[in-house]
Amino acid sequence: MLLDVIQGTENGGFVIIQDTVECCGRQLLQSCIAAALHREEDVHVLAFEVCEEDLRLGLDRKYEQRLCVHNGYTDPLGWSEHPLFTVHQFMAEELNAHLSGSEESKPATLIIDSLSWVLRHHPPAVVCQRLQELRRGGALRRVVALLHCDLHQQSIVGSLCHLATAVISVVPGNRGQQAVAKTTRRTKSGKVTHEEEYFSVKEDLTVTVEARPSLHGRPQTEEDEHEADPAANLTFNLRLSEGEKEAKEKLSLPFVFSEEKKSALLQPRPGSGRIVYNPDASDDFDPEDPDDDLAV
Amino acid sequence: MNMATSVSNTGERRSQQNTRPACNTTSFQKKSRSKLVSIPGTRPSVQNGQLIVSTGVTSLDYVIGGGLAVGTLLLVEEDKYDSYSRMLLKYFLAEGVVCGHHVFLGSARDPPEEIMQDLPAPILDDIASDAVNMGQVTACDSEDQGSMKIAWRYQNLPKVQTALASSSRFGHYYDASKTMARELREAVKCSTFFLPHELPAQTHAEPSPISEAYRLLLHSIQELIQREGFDGTAPQQKSRNILRIGLHSLGSPLWADDICCEEKPTQASSLTSFLYGLRALLRSSLCTCMVTVPSHLIQNRAIMDRVTRLCDTAIALESFRGSERETNPLYKDYHGLLHVKQTPHLNCLVCEAPDTKDLAFKLKRKQFSIERLHLPPDLSDTVSRLSKADVAESARLLSSACGGLATSNKHLDF
Repeated sequence: MLLDVIQGTENGGFVIIQDTVECCGRQLLQSCIAAALHREEDVHVLAFEVCEEDLRLGLDRKYEQRLCVHNGYTDPLGWSEHPLFTVHQFMAEELNAHLSGSEESKPATLIIDSLSWVLRHHPPAVVCQRLQELRRGGALRRVVALLHCDLHQQSIVGSLCHLATAVISVVPGNRGQQAVAKTTRRTKSGKVTHEEEYFSVKEDLTVTVEARPSLHGRPQTEEDEHEADPAANLTFNLRLSEGEKEAKEKLSLPFVFSEEKKSALLQPRPGSGRIVYNPDASDDFDPEDPDDDLAV
Repeated sequence: MNMATSVSNTGERRSQQNTRPACNTTSFQKKSRSKLVSIPGTRPSVQNGQLIVSTGVTSLDYVIGGGLAVGTLLLVEEDKYDSYSRMLLKYFLAEGVVCGHHVFLGSARDPPEEIMQDLPAPILDDIASDAVNMGQVTACDSEDQGSMKIAWRYQNLPKVQTALASSSRFGHYYDASKTMARELREAVKCSTFFLPHELPAQTHAEPSPISEAYRLLLHSIQELIQREGFDGTAPQQKSRNILRIGLHSLGSPLWADDICCEEKPTQASSLTSFLYGLRALLRSSLCTCMVTVPSHLIQNRAIMDRVTRLCDTAIALESFRGSERETNPLYKDYHGLLHVKQTPHLNCLVCEAPDTKDLAFKLKRKQFSIERLHLPPDLSDTVSRLSKADVAESARLLSSACGGLATSNKHLDF
C-alpha cells in the first residue's frame, strides 16, 4: 500500500508522513515529489527545513521546470527586507494565487516540508482549517506533508491525522538498515486499511517495498503442543468400549415420542405455553382436594 | 406505506401488525388518550408517553429506550476513523427524509450537500420485513440438521437470541449500498450550514464564552426555528412538523475549536456553552438533534464529561478497525463495540437503560444491527489469560462505567 500512496492514484488526498528523530521521512517525501514529477504534474514545495539544493538532489533534470520550490528556508520569519517566503504567507490568500498560477489548469501537488514548522508559528486549529481550505480550493490535487511527531503533543498529531486520508509512520526497523512504514489509508466511503512494510529508497528516489515485518504476539506453535487428550493418564476409565456404546444408544429415553406426536407438538402454535399432562400408570389423578382444606 | 402513522388510529395499527408474519408480536395495545398532535414519524413512547422519533436504526432505538424523544439531544462519540458515526448520522437524516421531517445539517469538514447526496436508500416496507424475517428463519433452518434427541421440543427455536428488537415496528430499514433517490430527498425541506462559507474571513476575537463559529451555528438554528414556527410561534401552521438537526464532528479543529489540540484549551467552555444554548432551543420546540463529537481527540476528560452531561442521550462507538482487537476471535462477527454512556430521565424518576451493557454493532448491508455480545465460555486450559497489562490497557480504553465488561469476563478465574 505504501507504493499506492506514494504514486498517489486518488485525488483530493491529504497524506501525512510522520517521522521521528530516529528515522527520517524526508526521503519518502522526496520520492513523492519524484513520483508526481514523473506523472508530469506541477509540484509546489514549501521548503522550511532544508535548502532548495538538497531537495532537488536526486530528481530528474528534465522535470525541473515543473518543480516550484518556495524557499522558506533562508528567511522564514521575514527578518530581512525582502523575504522570499515566510511562514505567515502560508495563511495568506496569495498562496492560492501562486498555486493556481500555471497556464494549464492541471491541478498541482503541494508538498509541505515540514508541517511541524508551520505548527510552531500558528495555532493548530487554524492550520487544520487552512489545510482543509487548500484542499477544497480546487487548485490542488493532493497535499503531502511531513510531520515530526516527536515535536508535538499527541493531541495535535492526532487532530492532524484525523484530517488526513493517508498516514505513513516511519519507524526504524529491527532488521539493520531497513525502516518500517506503517500505512493507514481511509477512503471516502469510510473503509480503513492498515499495512506495515519494510521499505528502502534508492538513489533515484524510487521506493522498493519488501516483505511485511513479522507480527508480534504469541507464536502459534505453542497452542498445538498443549492439545493433549485430557482423558489420558487417568486412574479411572472414561472411555466407552464398542459394546458399551451400543448399549447406550439402545437405551430408551423417557419423553421420546413417535414421530407424528413429535411433529404435532413441534408445530408453531399461537401462544405457546400449553401444558400437556399425560398421567403415568402410577399417577393418582384425583380431582378432589387432597388436603381437605378447601371450603367447597 | 408509512409504518409509523398517526397515533389516534390504533385500529389501523393493529391491522398493520396482523398482516406481518407472526413473529413475536403481542396483541397488547396501549390505550393512549393523550392530546398529542399527530405528527408523521412520531409516536408516544410506551414507557413514559413522551413523543419519540426513530433514530433511523431500529436496534439503536431499542437500546436508547424506544427512540429519541422530541426535544432532546443525542450525542454520538465518534469511532477513530469516523466511519460508523458518520453512517449513524446519515441514517438519522435519511429517517427524517422518509418521514417527511424538516432536516438541518451543520458541518465544517465536508460540504453538507455531499453528505445529503450520500444518504442510504430506504427499503420498501414489505421487502424489509421479509428481509429481516428471512434472516431469522434461515437461522432456524440450520438448526434442523442437528435435531436434538432429548431436548427436541427446542429444536426449532433459534439458537441464541442476540438481536435486540422490540415487539412493534417503528422506523425504517435502509440499504447502505444504494443512495437515496434525488426526488425523495428533494421532497423534504433541507437547510444546511457549512462553516467555511458562513465564517467571515477576519474574525474579530471578542471575548465571549462561545466562539464565533458556534455562535453563528446557534443563531442559524434559532432563526430557522423561529421562521418555520417549530416553537409554536407561527399560528398559521396547520400541520406541525419535526425539525431534525444533524451536526457533524463538533469540537474538531475545523470548527475553530482547540479542545482537540490542547490539554488546556483557550476556549474550553465554547462547546459546552453551545450545547447548553442548543438544548434550551430544543426543549422549547419540536426538534431533535444528533451531534457527533470526536471524543478520542479530546484530551481533557473533564470537558468530555461536561459535554456528556449536557446532552440527554450519549452513546460511544468503538470500532475494531486498526486496533489489536481486530484479530481477536471473540470479536470476529462484529465491527465494533457500542457503549451507552447516558440515557435521560425526562419527566420521570427512572431512566431507561438497556438490560445488557455488552453491546456490539455490525454494519450489514440492510441493517445496522446492535447485538448482545456473547462470550463463549472458557472451557479449555490452553486459552491464554489476559495479563495484567492487557487488562489495564483495555480499562484505559473503555473508561466508562458501562463498558469494560467484555474483558473483565475473561479475567474471572473459576
